[in-house]
Amino acid sequence: MGAEAIARAIDLEKVYGQGEAQVKALRGVSVDFGRGEMTAIMGPSGSGKSTLMHCMAALDRPTGGDVEIDGVPVRGLKDKALTQLRRDRLGFIFQSFNLVPTLTARENITLPVDIAGRKVDQEWFDRVVDTVGLRDRLSHRPTELSGGQQQRVACARALVSRPAIVFADEPTGNLDSRASAEILSFLQNSVKEFGQSIVIVTHDPVAAGYADRVLFLADGEIVDEMVDPTADKVLERMRGFDATGRRS
Amino acid sequence: MFKITVKGIFTHRLRFALTALAVCLGVTLVAGTLVLSGSITRTFDAIVEQTAAGTDVQVRGAQLETTAVDGSKQREPLPLSLEKKIEAVDGVARVAPDMSGTAILVNKDGTATRNGGAPNLGFGYDPDDPTIRITSGRAPEKKGEVLVDESTLELAGLAVGDTTKALIQNDPQNVTITGVFTFGSSLAGATLVLLDEQTAEATWAPDGEVPSFTIGADDGVSQETLRDRIAQVVPAGTEVVTGDVVYQEQKDSFGTAIGFITTFLLVFALIAVFVGAFIIANTFSMLVAQRTRELALLRAVGASRGQVLRVVLGEAAILGLTGSVVGLGLGILLAAGLQAVVKQSGLEITGGLPVTVSTVVVSLLIGLVVTMLSAIFPALRASRVAPIAALRDDAQTPPGGVLRRGIIGLVLVLAGFATILPGSLGDKPQWALVGVGAALLLIGLLVAAPWLTRPVVRLIGIPYTALYGTVGRLARENALRNPRRTATTASALMIGLALMSSVGVFASSANASVSDIVDSELTADYVLSSGGFTMIPTTVADEVTTMQGVTSVATIRSAPVQLADGSVFAIAADPRAMTENVKLDVVAGSLDSIDAGDVVVSRTAADDRGWKVGDTLTAEVGTRKNQSLTVGGIIDDSQALNNPNMIVPLDLYAKTVPAAQQGDFLLYVKSDGTNTAALRSQLEDVVKPFLVVSVQDGDEFADAQAAQINSLLYLIYALLALSVLIAVLGIINTLALSVFERTREIGLLRAVGMSRRQLRRMISAESVSTAVFGAVLGMALGLVLGLVLQRALVSQGLETLSIPWLTLAIVLVSSALAGMVAAIIPAWRAVRLDVLKAITAD
Ligand SMILES: Nc1ncnc2c1ncn2[C@@H]1O[C@H](COP(=O)(O)OP(=O)(O)OP(=O)(O)O)[C@@H](O)[C@H]1O
Ligand SMILES: [Mg+2]
Repeated sequence: MGAEAIARAIDLEKVYGQGEAQVKALRGVSVDFGRGEMTAIMGPSGSGKSTLMHCMAALDRPTGGDVEIDGVPVRGLKDKALTQLRRDRLGFIFQSFNLVPTLTARENITLPVDIAGRKVDQEWFDRVVDTVGLRDRLSHRPTELSGGQQQRVACARALVSRPAIVFADEPTGNLDSRASAEILSFLQNSVKEFGQSIVIVTHDPVAAGYADRVLFLADGEIVDEMVDPTADKVLERMRGFDATGRRS
Repeated sequence: MFKITVKGIFTHRLRFALTALAVCLGVTLVAGTLVLSGSITRTFDAIVEQTAAGTDVQVRGAQLETTAVDGSKQREPLPLSLEKKIEAVDGVARVAPDMSGTAILVNKDGTATRNGGAPNLGFGYDPDDPTIRITSGRAPEKKGEVLVDESTLELAGLAVGDTTKALIQNDPQNVTITGVFTFGSSLAGATLVLLDEQTAEATWAPDGEVPSFTIGADDGVSQETLRDRIAQVVPAGTEVVTGDVVYQEQKDSFGTAIGFITTFLLVFALIAVFVGAFIIANTFSMLVAQRTRELALLRAVGASRGQVLRVVLGEAAILGLTGSVVGLGLGILLAAGLQAVVKQSGLEITGGLPVTVSTVVVSLLIGLVVTMLSAIFPALRASRVAPIAALRDDAQTPPGGVLRRGIIGLVLVLAGFATILPGSLGDKPQWALVGVGAALLLIGLLVAAPWLTRPVVRLIGIPYTALYGTVGRLARENALRNPRRTATTASALMIGLALMSSVGVFASSANASVSDIVDSELTADYVLSSGGFTMIPTTVADEVTTMQGVTSVATIRSAPVQLADGSVFAIAADPRAMTENVKLDVVAGSLDSIDAGDVVVSRTAADDRGWKVGDTLTAEVGTRKNQSLTVGGIIDDSQALNNPNMIVPLDLYAKTVPAAQQGDFLLYVKSDGTNTAALRSQLEDVVKPFLVVSVQDGDEFADAQAAQINSLLYLIYALLALSVLIAVLGIINTLALSVFERTREIGLLRAVGMSRRQLRRMISAESVSTAVFGAVLGMALGLVLGLVLQRALVSQGLETLSIPWLTLAIVLVSSALAGMVAAIIPAWRAVRLDVLKAITAD
């Protein structure tokens, strides 16, 4: 799978704080995220999922190890290069507050492209918009959209600049099951149709079932993984974790 | 609860510091003005006290209504022979006839010894005068000898025993400095030259008449007793007053003048405070909005409305007090600085920096009350926050509609126009209407500003949205996000700039009018004019008349004329000479009637007072009462003659003005045009001994008049600059708070790839939008007010409308630059935000 990796963590470590208050959020995580795959990350609260995402997405600097995006090591990049990397190669979807309230849905979607000063690829834009089903909502502002719609706009934004990989941290955390299903199937489609690479963090076994692979994180380490998961298989695996209890 | 108040301030220290600075700057100006006027008052009190020290009783002629050239009320002259009679009264130790006028010493560089515009005074030396003490040399004994005060001597760079030239009552002569004296107090920059009594009498009382006598009492004789005794020997109608009365009168008259300066400065100080109020109000509304959840939490855990109100008002009180105390301190420094500046213009202030209880109380109270008042609405809003708001995510209350404010504002603006136009466009300006109209326009614009924000800011945004694309659009939308906030921030700037531009239009129109009128009215080649308190000696005109190439000389004298209902500005001149040098439009009657002993009045004066040709007026002229004057003609107002209300015959002037006070204030010279350059140098030679008389051609004359307008203009600009500075602080404050509010959004923008430079640009463009919005509103209002002012004053000679486009353009560009500067700190803070922390912040 190594050659196929679009992003990889190499012995990634993240330590917060110092001395007594020190927290090891990541304890040497090495993992490859496959190109054209949707990878789900699961794990109990505080296991380091968000930390891993932030480090992978060049939003935070690891205290040890390195991250490579599409073969480019992130360590040592200056702020300017990091900004460009995020703008051109990475897409993000957060749990909440994903949109700029002063801009319309359309403007929010094209924001990364606009900021980069590039022309929007109209054909691609249309395809993305149609896939998320937002055509008739493009001129609305975020406050005029439902939570699910807002999240779909965020998805469209993450895809419109054709990033190498999209990171989504609990993108469905605030949504009901129907809206979640819409978002997830949209993400799944973009993997199938456009070959998009996606990493998503979730607590929901159903959501994990959409992925091609699930990684299980506990106490800052990858403890297990599952290929071609289904919701049931994931749920079962999680029960198993609960039964054995947490290591510490 | 007090703990929460203090903590609130501490947590938001930067914005509190900026807001306190806004309070502080206003208070600085208030306190500075009060301290300065206190020290000026003390300076003059000391002088008055010293002057009055040797005066137990004063005998003076009945007061006339006319004012002398130096602005003092004239008195019926008293004969010198009265001195003997007074001396004979029991209890009189000394009697000194008051003989005084101007005396200018030539310094070692050959120019006039003077301190800016401060007066150059000459007196007769009375050896018995207790206020004058010779410190070195001896008293003057004959013509050509002078006694000079210490600071004058120092200023002149001369020493006792030196010989120099002096201009004594317009008579140039050689003098020897026989001695130096101290007066016992500062002279506030005036120079003092004393002559021996005989020479003084010949110079300042050539007709044997003086305005008053100063009398010193024997030991043990009270002022009142002596006054009553003297009153019995002087002719009826003569005033006899005690030294205490004289002291009080002089103190009061200085007080009036100082009061005028104080009021003038205080107006600007209060404008600054008013502008500061907007900033304070804005800061508090933003803080309350941002802290809605915190305040709601307080309410949820049981705090009463009153307690929440007190938390916010408590913050305002601490802020207001801090700002005011610092402002008071800075105000004292400002006063010291202003003293140094004023000294440059000749007024030496030696009164120290008196910080009276009232100065402290007024300054602190103004700062405190304005802060509390500005915070009251936000505080009320805070107290109305429902406890449930603590639980809601979107705690910020969305700004209400601005349409209602737009409509109300528009109505007010229309009402303003409806008031100001009839007030200014009629034949005679009705200042009450103009004032009310101007206030309505200002208030209307302030009220309507939020409604105007959207369209105007969109317009302003066109260039940078075109330039920066999305970043520009984001900036524009940020400025429009909360129109009220943007409008309030811009309004603060609007006020200062509206005043600046209206004053600018007024001054520019005044300049243009003066030069237009001088161009079209003045036919003379040269104008001789004297500076300040002195006049051109009558002999100059005689000498100029005989010069080669001179075809006409018009002497213009200032005639003190007082009517029953007030004084008028009158000149005395020969009609023929006048028309040869100045174009005059006769509206009715004729100019030649002056030859027949009639007077000619200006059209404005005639309109104001309903005079017609043939009317007879009773007036005091100079020192003579009950002169009857017949109106022989009416002319258009003449700027070239300095806009006199009335022209009287020279004969009347000669008869009514004491010889010591006679002289020209303007002299027009027309030549045959053959050799004007040579004529000029000849003229300059003639006036050279008179030190302060200048020779100007038409352009220079117009420029000199414009220069007076300009120096006042610059003073007003400088005073308004403080208000503008406060407004810029407001922009910084608003932006800093907005950046703070939008932490998450900024994090998001950075996460999706906005570079630091783009972020900086976005905040800068938002700031520039706000600043330019304020500038546009301010200049629009200023233009309207300036225009109205010009229209209203057409009949007063402000005939040419001139809009200072260049100045306005500079103001606009400066506002944009100020906006950029204001954005530096907020942008720096935004750029410094950690992307990850920003996104996850709450
Ligand atoms: N900024 C920080 N400073 C200190 N410790 C932190 C910080 N951010 C995270 N941590 C700690 O690091 C560990 C991992 O946190 P992280 O947010 O990655 O967990 P998570 O798996 O995303 O949890 P959840 O499912 O609740 O979102 C936790 O113990 C957390 O307390
Ligand atoms: Mg998390």
